[in-house]
Amino acid sequence: MAQPALVELKGIQKSFGQVVALGGVDLGLAPREIHGLLGGNGAGKTTLMNVLYGLYRPDAGEIRVRGRPVEIGSPSDAITHGIGMVHQHFLQIGDFSVTQNIVLGTALREFPVLRLDAARRRIAELSGRFGLEVDPKASVEELPMGVRQRVEILKALYRGVDILILDEPTTNLTPQEVDRLFDSLRAMVDQGMSVVFITHKLREVMKVCDRVSVLRDGQHILTAPIGEADEGTLVAGMVGEQVDLRESLLFSGTDLESAPATDESPCLEVTGLSVPGEGGVLAVQEASFQVWPGEILGFAGVAGNGQRELVEALLNIREAAAGRVLLAGEDIRGWSTNAILSHGVAYIPEDRVSDGYLPTVTVAHNLILGSQRSQPYARRGVLAWDHIHRGAAGLIETYNIQTQGPGDLAAYLSGGNVQRLMIARAFSGGGQLLLAHNLTSGLDIPSVESVYDRLLARRAAGLSAVLLSDDLDELLLLCDRIAVLYRGSIAGTLKRPDFDRYQLGRLMSGAIAHG
Amino acid sequence: MADQAVTLQAGAGVRQLRDRLLPYLIAVAAAFAVVGVVIGVMGFNVPRAFTTILFTSFRSPNGLAQTLSKFVPLLLQALAFTLPLAAGKFNIGGEGQLIVGGTAAAAVGILFPDLPQPVLLPLALLAGMIAGALWMLGPAWLLYRFRINEILTTVLMNFVAFELINFASTEIWPDPAAGHPTTVPIGAGAHMPMLLQQPPLHSGLLLALLIAAGAYFFMGRTTFGYELVVTGANPRAARVHGINVRALFFASLLVGGVLAGLSGAIEVTGNYHRLIEGLQSNFLLLGIIIGLIARGNHLALPFVAFFIAVLDVGASALQRTLAIPSEMVFIVMGLILIFVLLSDVIQRRR
Repeated sequence: MAQPALVELKGIQKSFGQVVALGGVDLGLAPREIHGLLGGNGAGKTTLMNVLYGLYRPDAGEIRVRGRPVEIGSPSDAITHGIGMVHQHFLQIGDFSVTQNIVLGTALREFPVLRLDAARRRIAELSGRFGLEVDPKASVEELPMGVRQRVEILKALYRGVDILILDEPTTNLTPQEVDRLFDSLRAMVDQGMSVVFITHKLREVMKVCDRVSVLRDGQHILTAPIGEADEGTLVAGMVGEQVDLRESLLFSGTDLESAPATDESPCLEVTGLSVPGEGGVLAVQEASFQVWPGEILGFAGVAGNGQRELVEALLNIREAAAGRVLLAGEDIRGWSTNAILSHGVAYIPEDRVSDGYLPTVTVAHNLILGSQRSQPYARRGVLAWDHIHRGAAGLIETYNIQTQGPGDLAAYLSGGNVQRLMIARAFSGGGQLLLAHNLTSGLDIPSVESVYDRLLARRAAGLSAVLLSDDLDELLLLCDRIAVLYRGSIAGTLKRPDFDRYQLGRLMSGAIAHG
Repeated sequence: MADQAVTLQAGAGVRQLRDRLLPYLIAVAAAFAVVGVVIGVMGFNVPRAFTTILFTSFRSPNGLAQTLSKFVPLLLQALAFTLPLAAGKFNIGGEGQLIVGGTAAAAVGILFPDLPQPVLLPLALLAGMIAGALWMLGPAWLLYRFRINEILTTVLMNFVAFELINFASTEIWPDPAAGHPTTVPIGAGAHMPMLLQQPPLHSGLLLALLIAAGAYFFMGRTTFGYELVVTGANPRAARVHGINVRALFFASLLVGGVLAGLSGAIEVTGNYHRLIEGLQSNFLLLGIIIGLIARGNHLALPFVAFFIAVLDVGASALQRTLAIPSEMVFIVMGLILIFVLLSDVIQRRR
């Protein structure tokens, strides 16, 4: 790099208790570049940027901004140095307007009078300049995710930053929205800004970044200009030695075998299912679909379009308003959740903290949840703890759950390990139908790989699965068919090999109905 | 080598036990230190006060028998609180359930005075348990059906019970010879067999210990106990994985009612042989304190209950012999609870 670095991170170290999140990371950000920060879950990307944004204090290391060493103790320090960050989860007030959300927390020039005209003009100007189209007067809660993200970016720009960090910004965007976001990032860089783009998706890095740095296990692996970066090298940098890339489902680019036969009777048949959401509005409207034996059916859609209500209604965790649910030919609507689960259904919920695990009891307690009445764990109502501990130890080993042992408190598990626990529980239950919502959220790349392998082994054995996911790439990789949920209705269903990312995007954004 | 391994393992066990007991010992010591200062400032003899509180129970057979008689209702009341608590529900109505349990046992004992003991005593105890459960039925159903907070309803049912015992002992079967609202005595067939005649110690002690052991087994080794614990740990996750948490709430509250009702029946059949207004003493409050100090550990519960019984007996002696208000001892209990809970916070911070 001929130019002096805009931001330099040197030897940044950060540990959380025993866990080393960053083991001395160096990173340089040049002026006028989009710098991709690539790595799997747990690589340390977000932690590193949270250090730069002042959310974490580094244990050791130096930060230089525009050549000068700085102490960044809080996000407001970071903003003073021209650094802004957009997180995965937005902090917005739903019934405030776009303008109100953006000025919130900034000094108002005409205090104590609230006059937002000037702010509104400034926002309009910024949004025009960078192609971040929003209506400053719109109420935030009515906006689609892509636009809410623009609001979050405008928040940073309004504060005058010229270094913007985006943490996994493409989650929950349709492919079309991703393209628009990339155009805006390009416009920012053209006008002199620099962008750090955190992602775990190689494709996105290759598409938009000028340079890329790869992190793995809290270490900086490499940095290279995109023109000189070879995809194989980047992938190897991300996953290390643990995954054989030729065998890898994620990176080898091989396609699934053709879809299973549909002349058998369906494993799950749903007809006209309607489910009330919060506040009595129908969150799912007349959804009808089948899942065939040996099929993986995906549900794509921007989060909050009825995915959760749909799967909860299938399990009668939430009561459906109308419709019919046939499981292997039997009408299960109105059955208790317990009866449905013991009829060969396994469930991996979306919200692992609230729905998935029990923090105050042991890992073994967690692993048998749902199987506590079946042999060999229990016999005539009495638990066999030796069987339970032996079974739990086996699952911990097989699914690589990082814990002291079956007797350890589940509260000590990290997010990724809770996910592994839920997967171990669901996969070991041996159901004919798996319902999984964001199956691999929070997992590192080798774990994702092994979960995919297990899922496809299930498929090969003639077992069925319904995957609901925010990650379109995951669905494109694994599913035989993908249905798109938009505002609680199935907007359309595509079948392998006719998958088309942009067609799915149009369905997800409601641009076309019934495609 | 093998011997060494065994020693090491035993060493680890001792260390684990020590690590778990240490916060309790510190909490007890700190509570006594604080109260010692207060008693000293008030001008009383601190060492004498402490020895009275701690050793009255062990100085005479009488003291020990008295302590064990208190231990029985305390242990049952604690269980009536902790079993629903395992599922995350609060039974604050143990007092009312004790009263109706005692009233039902007394009613059986008074109405059928001539039945032989093998029939009448079990009948009286059973009546107490059923009455306790029935008293809980209202709150449990309101929770099940309308999600009405059980803390409120169980507490309110206590006040109804106060009127009930008053009515029974002044209107239905009053004993005019007594200077205090009391019923006529129950038939001899309803008397609990005595373990010791002098000092008096009834066999309700064995029953309570048996139930405590059963509760320990039930919570740790049965699927029902597992489901209670799991529901307490995260009711939403329990429900998502097929556990009928509302039915569990209902059942756990009823079990609490049964145990509290039994504690009342044992007081009547073992201790008083009649219904006496005020027989509930402050067992509810002490039972809650015991349950909270034991923190869901049903192995520790009987030991904590015994310790609190010792303090309670010490408290009466303190007032009797040194004229120090017995409330001082309740302050000790309260402080122990606060310090035990505080040690949790400190351990979490570390």
